[in-house]
Amino acid sequence: MDQENSGQTASEPLLAAWIKWTMDFWDTMAQMGPGLAGAGRSGGQASRETALPADPWPAALNLWQAFFSLLTEPGTVAAVFQGIQAPPKIILKMAQAGWGGYFQLHQQWLKGWQGDGSPSGEHGYEHLDQDIFKACHEIFEHDFRRLLNLPHLCLTSLPQERVNRATEKFNRFQAAMAEFIDLLYLPVKKSLRAMGTEWVNGGGGPLPEDFKGYYKRWLKILEGHYMTIFQSAEYIRTLTHTLHALEDFTRAKQELLSEAMAALGLPTRREMDDLYREIYLLKKSVKRMARKLDPTEPSQEEG
Amino acid sequence: MDRPKIPVDLILAKLAADAEAAKHRLERARDIFLGPLATDIGTTPYELVYQEDRVRLKYYRPDAARLKTPLLLVHSLFNRETLLDLQPGRSVVHNLLKEGVEVYLIEWGSPSRRDQFLTLDDHLNGYLDDIVEFIRRRHGVPKVNLLGVCLGGTFAVIYAALHPEKIRNLIATAAPAHFNTPKGLLHIWLQKIDVDRLVNTFGNLPGSLVNAAFLLLNPPRLLLDKYLGFLEHMDDKNFVENFIRMEKWIFDSPDVPGETVRQVIKDLYQENLLVQGKLSLGGRRVDLRRVTMPLLNIYGQFDHLVPPEACEVLAGKVGSRDTENVCLDTGHVGIYVSSRFQKETIPKIAAWLLAREG
Repeated sequence: MDQENSGQTASEPLLAAWIKWTMDFWDTMAQMGPGLAGAGRSGGQASRETALPADPWPAALNLWQAFFSLLTEPGTVAAVFQGIQAPPKIILKMAQAGWGGYFQLHQQWLKGWQGDGSPSGEHGYEHLDQDIFKACHEIFEHDFRRLLNLPHLCLTSLPQERVNRATEKFNRFQAAMAEFIDLLYLPVKKSLRAMGTEWVNGGGGPLPEDFKGYYKRWLKILEGHYMTIFQSAEYIRTLTHTLHALEDFTRAKQELLSEAMAALGLPTRREMDDLYREIYLLKKSVKRMARKLDPTEPSQEEG
Repeated sequence: MDRPKIPVDLILAKLAADAEAAKHRLERARDIFLGPLATDIGTTPYELVYQEDRVRLKYYRPDAARLKTPLLLVHSLFNRETLLDLQPGRSVVHNLLKEGVEVYLIEWGSPSRRDQFLTLDDHLNGYLDDIVEFIRRRHGVPKVNLLGVCLGGTFAVIYAALHPEKIRNLIATAAPAHFNTPKGLLHIWLQKIDVDRLVNTFGNLPGSLVNAAFLLLNPPRLLLDKYLGFLEHMDDKNFVENFIRMEKWIFDSPDVPGETVRQVIKDLYQENLLVQGKLSLGGRRVDLRRVTMPLLNIYGQFDHLVPPEACEVLAGKVGSRDTENVCLDTGHVGIYVSSRFQKETIPKIAAWLLAREG
């Protein structure tokens, strides 16, 4: 008990310090966003990429700020640690792993955002910044996956393993899907940025006088970005990876369901497939024989 | 340097006017949506004349037949044949009937797991050949006319190469023959796909995956602009009905038998065996030089699914001396539903067939 208490007192200041530091960071970022946007519109020196009228930064930063403000409340921190004491050690271990992973993820985000916010450049899609997804992948590989692959014993070990495998494959599929959707969203971000640049620069021609004109222009840019990304090696890699993750999850799910169906005395998918194959081959043989017996049927041997 | 100013006041004024118009549109649309809507597809009357397993054959009788040889339409396995009879007034089938053509249309049906082992050979030398035999016997004719749609067009070409003695005239529409082209996204993506893994996992290729793949070909148009267009015209009953008909067709892709998918992707998309004369079916080589009957090859200039580069080489590869390439200034589906195709190309097809009745 004393040990647990000492662990709690050691973690709390560290957590509080980290939250305060994060708060300061977001505070700075929130102040920078509108300032830069304003500077961009007034023709100042600030980067035009942050001056996009449709930039979601201010809203997102405010949300984060509000979230972290809540975390700094002493009551909240105490409640978090109070809650952690209750579950068994394995849950505590998982929570610690998750917390460590989140911290690692946060570091990755910070590294990404300390750059220019446009890791792949304006038009290139070959070297996308996948740090966030790499971090997620590492968290899963280093922490959660090991827990899901713990050896099981005795009578129920096989079904348990199947459940865990299906869970693991489901998580991998979700991660792959998130990466794929993020990639699909990239042209939207880029086209909005390009439109913002056009607004600021004037676009080199007369500006449309109605919203539809801007929409059509944006749609054209968006289509161009999609056509570029769809032909990139990165997109094909991500698409293939997502498809493989879906296939792995589907197979794991089928194995799990087969186990349940066998337990219920129902024919499994594999048994039905074997039966279907036999029927298919039998029908083919019968048809071949019927054709041989039909005098009006021409020979299939020529050619 | 002076920059053009964004006419914010003008934009806002027009937005306000648009919002007012949208309000009235919504009121009119409410009546349309709550009232009766005619959104059925495939409404041209037909007779079911043949069935083998899941595959059925529809027969459409014209008021007055001008051609002795019936025309068999072969659709792709990847979506429904109802595209050819989508809406009254813009139905390929209906307009062919008006031209005096007797039409047969293959309905490939909805494959289940029991169909997963069916190969390309089973579809072409099995179902399609049985249907051609049925029509020949029913009409007492030695040959039939064949019109293929999309991959159904490729199937028709392969069949004509294997059974030239049964085909009088061949019409390929948006039918890929040369698959190794970097112009179509589908051609690019399918080069890299591990089809063995896909088929071994799913058995049949799920229709939902096919739908998703088609949407990914152009998300801005297919997932956004199309529906904004719908919102703009939702007070037009005719537009709403046709839009819903098209939606019904698009999202009704059936599952595709796994072994056929494996063969189509490996042998056609990845190895491009057809134009090289290396494709084998049921132990027989598919030699395009055996396509000696007249060939009409129709494709769309702006087809993002089957680009012109995939279609136009066919005429040069077949053995026939009577070939014609027709490139329409439309996209993939536009070939079958555009008013120009309905008004100009279908009469041209009928006249082309009539001139080659023999």
